[in-house]
Amino acid sequence: MAGFEILDPTVEPRKQPLTYVPRPDSLKGKRVGLVENTKFNSDKLLVKIGDILKSEYGAADYTMWRKHNSSVPAHQEILDEARRGVDCVVAGIGD
Amino acid sequence: MTTTQLTSKRYPVPDLSHAIEFCYQQGWTDGLPVVPPTEGAVRAMLDAAGLEPGQELCFITNRQVAVTAEKVAVNAVMAGCLPEHMPVVVAAVEGLGDPKWGYHGPAASTGGAAVLMIVNGPIAARLGFNSGDNLFGPGWRSNATTGRAVRLVMRNVIGTLPGALDRGTVAHPGKYSYVIAENEVESPWTPLHVQRGFKAEESTVTVMSAEGPHQFYNQLSSTAEGVLTSLCDDMQHHASTNGQPQYVVVLAGEHMRTIAAAGWSKADIQEFVFEHTQNSVAHLKRVQRLAGAITPADETTMRPLVPSAEDVLVVAAGGRAGAFSCYIPGWAGGKKSSQSVTKLIRERRA
Repeated sequence: MAGFEILDPTVEPRKQPLTYVPRPDSLKGKRVGLVENTKFNSDKLLVKIGDILKSEYGAADYTMWRKHNSSVPAHQEILDEARRGVDCVVAGIGD
Repeated sequence: MTTTQLTSKRYPVPDLSHAIEFCYQQGWTDGLPVVPPTEGAVRAMLDAAGLEPGQELCFITNRQVAVTAEKVAVNAVMAGCLPEHMPVVVAAVEGLGDPKWGYHGPAASTGGAAVLMIVNGPIAARLGFNSGDNLFGPGWRSNATTGRAVRLVMRNVIGTLPGALDRGTVAHPGKYSYVIAENEVESPWTPLHVQRGFKAEESTVTVMSAEGPHQFYNQLSSTAEGVLTSLCDDMQHHASTNGQPQYVVVLAGEHMRTIAAAGWSKADIQEFVFEHTQNSVAHLKRVQRLAGAITPADETTMRPLVPSAEDVLVVAAGGRAGAFSCYIPGWAGGKKSSQSVTKLIRERRA
């Protein structure tokens, strides 16, 4: 059999810019959002983290949201409320 | 015939065996040898579906990947598909891109789901999709290659690589190919695609993120209740504690005939299964499948397997002989994670 050409089955994902918001220098007086992913105990873990952020790092308060489930991004309502109501967000997994 | 330039990168190879090894070296295979994708073979795939190479079949948001007809055709060739299989693969890929199927979860999850494809309508018999003996076993090109093509698209186009973005803990062999057809010739029941709003003369593929098939046995009973009670006992143990949103029940020849002879419809089966697969919350807590202390109310609080009877998809398929059938749990996470979707197979597009 003579030589021949084969075609590449792969693609490169579209490049998308990803910019992180600058990290706060301190959590003092900051409002913290906690995004709970529905995994067992993730709510408890995040509440503990929220309490530590208040007692040891001076955070003003925290708010927790629950995702629809662990395999999807945080839904729009969470994003909108986070944008309006908190200064930083902690997202966690409870496995 | 499409004359549009194909844009995939080309690699020269000296002969067939080098081409096969080259594909291995590039990480393009599922572990089995692939058919080297030449331009002629890829064009034949596109022509069979009447698709232009650049046509976008779906866009996978979390990966920011547009899945084009050309790339699906390349992978279909590699999987061993014939050109006439291309419309089936295309419909299944469109299913993966449906927001209801929700690509990211079932593709990446430790839950290890595969893409179950159920083919309905006239195309199933015309292309020789197996709906009988050895239903999930090897030996039928249509079943083996169309599912393999979809998995290769997931791997090569969408980047769902085992050990990287596909983290199935144990997964199952259906990740090679997991394709069946409904036995519409012998089934007395309404075919799945007609239940889901398509015409009997249309062909469809239903894609569902799914665990492997769980076989059950009942050679004792000659009644519909008897057979389905055994099925429900097995399914009740499965218990959906991982949040499976849907289950498929595949009823093979003997069981199908026993249940149909009693005059039961698919809706009757769905209702029976829904009612008889529920567990008490207390039981699930005792066996450590739900968390928390058992309360008196838990003894009488029943937890259904799925949200509604319609979430039990009943399919007639499997060998004519043998007192075996099976059920297939969907992938975990509830209906907002992933639901089965049924797509029309368009055999030739303008």
